Amino acid sequence: MPSLSRTLAFPLSFVLAIGACSSSGAASVAPTSSTVAVASPSAALAPNPTPPLTPVPAPAFPTTLTDDEGTAVTIPVAPQRIVSLTPASTEILFGLGAGSWVIAGTEADDYPPVADALPDVATYEAVDVEKIVGIEADLVIAGGNFFNPPEAIARLRELGIPVLVLYAPDIAGVLADVELIGDAIGLPDAAGEMTAAMQAGFDDVASATAGLDRPRTFYELDVSTGTIYTVADESFSAEMVSLAGGDPITTGSTTDYAIPLERLIVADPELILLGDAAYQVTAAQVKDRTGWDVMTAVRNDAIRPVNDIIITRPGPRLVEGLRELALAIHPDLVLPSAAPIPPLP
Amino acid sequence: MTTHRETLRTARPRVGWFGGVRDRPILLGGLGLVALLVALVMGVGVGSVAIDPADTIAILGHRFLGLDIPQTWSPATETIVVELRMPRILTAMLVGSALAVAGATFQGLLRNPLADPYVLGTASGAALGAAIAVLIPVRLVIFQFGLIQGLAFIGALAAITVVYKLSRNSGLAPLTSLLLTGYAVGSLLAAGLAMAMYLSGAALRQIFTYLLGSFDAATWSRFLATLPIILLASVAILLRARSLNGLLLGEQAAAHLGIDVKRERRILLALASLVTAAAVAISGLIGFVGLVVPHVVRLLVGPSARLVLPLSMIGGAALLAYADIIARLAGGIPVGVVTAILGAPFFLFILRRARTGYEV
Repeated sequence: MPSLSRTLAFPLSFVLAIGACSSSGAASVAPTSSTVAVASPSAALAPNPTPPLTPVPAPAFPTTLTDDEGTAVTIPVAPQRIVSLTPASTEILFGLGAGSWVIAGTEADDYPPVADALPDVATYEAVDVEKIVGIEADLVIAGGNFFNPPEAIARLRELGIPVLVLYAPDIAGVLADVELIGDAIGLPDAAGEMTAAMQAGFDDVASATAGLDRPRTFYELDVSTGTIYTVADESFSAEMVSLAGGDPITTGSTTDYAIPLERLIVADPELILLGDAAYQVTAAQVKDRTGWDVMTAVRNDAIRPVNDIIITRPGPRLVEGLRELALAIHPDLVLPSAAPIPPLP
Repeated sequence: MTTHRETLRTARPRVGWFGGVRDRPILLGGLGLVALLVALVMGVGVGSVAIDPADTIAILGHRFLGLDIPQTWSPATETIVVELRMPRILTAMLVGSALAVAGATFQGLLRNPLADPYVLGTASGAALGAAIAVLIPVRLVIFQFGLIQGLAFIGALAAITVVYKLSRNSGLAPLTSLLLTGYAVGSLLAAGLAMAMYLSGAALRQIFTYLLGSFDAATWSRFLATLPIILLASVAILLRARSLNGLLLGEQAAAHLGIDVKRERRILLALASLVTAAAVAISGLIGFVGLVVPHVVRLLVGPSARLVLPLSMIGGAALLAYADIIARLAGGIPVGVVTAILGAPFFLFILRRARTGYEV
């Protein structure tokens, strides 16, 4: 259940926020152990996670895992014909070295480049159940929180195909999902390596931005329909902006992603990040918008494009996204060089 | 003084060279049944996975006729044919026939050519029920239905019940009162739906999918849960064709024919609403079929409900079956789009061919 993951994740973001606010530098990198604890699936389900830092031994198949919606999913044999229904899980699978087992993906897959060539069984609107049955998938990894239609997920399960539904409400949730996929495909060690590397990458950014001023940051998701969409309270993207050393301007609700222009003007962003830059939105357009000229960011010309995909896609490249975000918020920031994630074979 | 039967006969419009079939309703029905059979074979034969037609036929013979055929196909192929395509095409036919028979009944009852199965608030009621079901975080299964299907069914029936009860205490003529109450209640429910959609966040897409209508969720269990409701209620409507014919002539004429107008109207309204509710529960809101198929049938064979009701059922089933096949081949576009694209030009063509006065 999303709410459960969110409750568990709260201590992490709390610690990070405190750490980032304090000026004690390296001491702020506290969350490492607790995050790894949250990341192991068994701990993610326990009401009070204790940190079992020993890697989970490779489960012998059949194995039963609990997915992010609380469904117990039994995987009878080590999966060799995997279908990924979200671009993020495609990236995780390839990152774990299981790319050759992935037999189909989504229309939106674009990374790694070879994933683009996979047969598509999912679009933004629908999942092709018939095709998934036809290619004899033995594991389907789907997106929760309505990313993939719940009806299609239920249908696949009725037909006897194990479906693992993933939904990461925050960064800790992404790490937990990597571990969950690792367990589901029999590669828990690779997953442990990946999450450790990702955590190190997050920690690097967190400590580099720890003592800095935190500009009030408006992260623009979309304005094309006239409604202004930005990050919701306690959302994944708000956490990313905080970690990157910004003070996110949020919608004031945990579920509503729309922000009234009045609220945005009162919040007075010092920095505007264009997550919709890939859709030809430019700083010049922002300056021309009625009512926006009063904002500090517009007057100071602090409007910068960012690569929305790596910042919002809950996969292994999130570290890259966080680094890009940190550099967009603090252009003079010096980040330690990062180990490549995932360690692609 | 013309008899009831003669009135119906003279009301039959001539439809150009289609006039040939108008006196041969049996031929028309037979053609419809053949079209349905072809649709059944096509519906099972085509899809996003290519399956050898020989395998398809062998699987069907093996599973449904009990023939002893050596298995040359993979279990996945059998699952696709038996568990995915069969219930889907059968559900499309069932829903098509349900909507068409309900539409014909509503048009006759309300003596309104623009009436369709959704006219008295059933659509808004079902949609609101489905939206609420999407927003409820619990996943329940009631009587083989999912929560969405269950609440859509209840919502549709609740809406029509409220409309009927409210319309009875009005000083207006019964039909006017019913239509206007239906419109008012429908608007209120639509506002509720808009509110639910506004609050739904990520679930919006699922509500939207329901509103567009689709057979993606068709399963054997849902089909079999809906089949008796639609079948029994449709047969009950067919058995009341005489009452419907009487009501078509107006309340006074019907009363002279010995029809208990209020009672028959209530029963037909209930039956048609039940059929509609069952159909929208499994398929979402699919427009056009219920409005246009009865008109096409009436233009071809005249207004007698004895012919219009069964032929509408066949026609509706065929239209929706072919529309779903095309929708699937076109990459899963909403089936309601296809029904309109297929049906509207054909309807216009038939309308232009109608020479003598045509009335519902």
